[in-house]
Amino acid sequence: MNVQYASLLIAIPLITAFFVPLMKGLGEKAIKTYVLIITAIQAGIATWVFEEVYTTGKPIIVMAGGWRPPVGIDLYIGPFAALFVLIVALVSFLMAVFNFRAVKVEPIDKYAMLFLLLMLGATGMIATGDIFNLFVFMEITAITAYALTAYNKTGEAAEASLKYMVLGGIGSSFFLIGVALIYGATGTLNMAQIAQLAGNINPTVAQVALALVIFGLAVEAELFPLNAWAPDAYQAAPHPVTAMFSAFVVKAGIYALARILYLMSAVGTWKNILHLLIAMATLTVIVAEFSALRQRNVKRMIAYSSVSQVGLIGLAFALGTQAGVDAGVFQMINHAIIKVLLFLGVGYVAVQLGGAEIENFRGLGKRMPLTALGVTVGSMSAVGIPLFNIFWSKLRIILATVDAGYAWAAALVLGASVVEAVYYFRLVHAIWFTGEGERLRESAPLVAIMLLLIAIIVAIGIYPNYAWSLSQKAGNDIFNVAQYIKNVPLMGVGA
Amino acid sequence: MISAYYFGAISLVLIGLYAVLVKKNVLKMLIGLSIMETGVNLLLVSIGYIYGRSAPILSEGIGPNQAVDPIPQALVLTAIVIGVATTAMALSVAIILYQKYGTLNVEEIRRLRG
Repeated sequence: MNVQYASLLIAIPLITAFFVPLMKGLGEKAIKTYVLIITAIQAGIATWVFEEVYTTGKPIIVMAGGWRPPVGIDLYIGPFAALFVLIVALVSFLMAVFNFRAVKVEPIDKYAMLFLLLMLGATGMIATGDIFNLFVFMEITAITAYALTAYNKTGEAAEASLKYMVLGGIGSSFFLIGVALIYGATGTLNMAQIAQLAGNINPTVAQVALALVIFGLAVEAELFPLNAWAPDAYQAAPHPVTAMFSAFVVKAGIYALARILYLMSAVGTWKNILHLLIAMATLTVIVAEFSALRQRNVKRMIAYSSVSQVGLIGLAFALGTQAGVDAGVFQMINHAIIKVLLFLGVGYVAVQLGGAEIENFRGLGKRMPLTALGVTVGSMSAVGIPLFNIFWSKLRIILATVDAGYAWAAALVLGASVVEAVYYFRLVHAIWFTGEGERLRESAPLVAIMLLLIAIIVAIGIYPNYAWSLSQKAGNDIFNVAQYIKNVPLMGVGA
Repeated sequence: MISAYYFGAISLVLIGLYAVLVKKNVLKMLIGLSIMETGVNLLLVSIGYIYGRSAPILSEGIGPNQAVDPIPQALVLTAIVIGVATTAMALSVAIILYQKYGTLNVEEIRRLRG
């Protein structure tokens, strides 16, 4: 099959999203089934792309309209993009199943459309090979995310959405100024060509441009000074959307940040930017962990935990070494899996028992034992207990951090794990050792999803080698910029 | 050469940023965001500007050598459309906020905290 068909990853959600309003008359079930089918097709294509990229070992370059880059805009689906496009599609599929239970507020057709567009935006951000195209996909993701945050139409939802929108607006303006400076200095928007020319840019210009781009993307990537929106939006958004935010929207942001950071690694003042990013990432971890400690709402608590884990990913990427990038990618995979499990479990409890306050979790082990098992395994894994997947990625991050000479940052990661353990064990204690209750019937498909995710978590926890080799390949895709430039068939213009 | 266009564009960005950070009224903050976007768009256009050349529309007497760089202009068109979408979205959220809270003062819109 011609590899150019990989462009369907972008085309299918985009076309199908705008057909949703036509189905308005068919009712809520039909629309949710439609979303389920589309996400299944998307997952199928993503699996094919993943197979293709990992068996041939070569990236797929999709050239829009047949024009070679930099004249045409290309999609670059290398090992990293192939892996994460697959994760985006699979998570969307699982959440499309969850939609049947969790989303009751009308208008469902608008919800379905935004759901598909959110998936599209994240896929595009991960797959694109053009810095302005990245901006457009980032805005698609952001605008759908604002709308989905406000979807429940409560005062809290509107408030969270407004916060997100103001920060997102400032962030996208900064990002665009950064893009303008990079364009002014190199005369190109193609990522491979920027990487080629990065060494010739005036170091001061490059430093300012890179800092602006990082601040712009830090809103989506939830790094410290710009992440105030995250817990509010996570708490107020519909439950499946929260899981999607945590599993791939933030990942797309942090990937874009890492990609642009490493593309510009030939710049003379690159180390200064790394220091800035290390400071932002460590502050993210500390502030988020201590905020999580005080929360009474479990969904908000897990949101803070998600922010802190993303801070860890940021730290790993900011080290500027191959080991750091690999560890960061490994943590991204593991974090996506456990946060889907946790938000699915917590969201399901909130739907069944009418809220995600910690009081509702007392006696959950007796009322909804399988959901309780899911939340427990997710919590244990998030803390970093051996036999679960996050243990290995935290270990890799600590090793990489010590290797790069930032032992204090490693100490911080360990300290953060202790704080994390306190609030997660409090939750687990409330679930199993307090409260009483009748056993409720649990929905079979959701329980099946949770058991599947638990199985993956334990499997990676016991045999980390396969996932680790995947992350090494994907990490190499980000770190090895020379190979990236070689892979993109640039036309000899401009440069 | 640092031209007056850059100063103008950056000052617009800063004015917008000031309004977003300091103003208490949601609508004024959103106006600030729009001003900021305008500043960024001006900056983009002025980066592609070459002194004494005309708009990049090929017509009689205007070839590629008489026109300014067309790429930033295409970018700005896209950015304007995105800006309009964001503003519309933000205003509709502001309407919901006013219905639920009865005010547009950000200091009183604080149910989510901690």
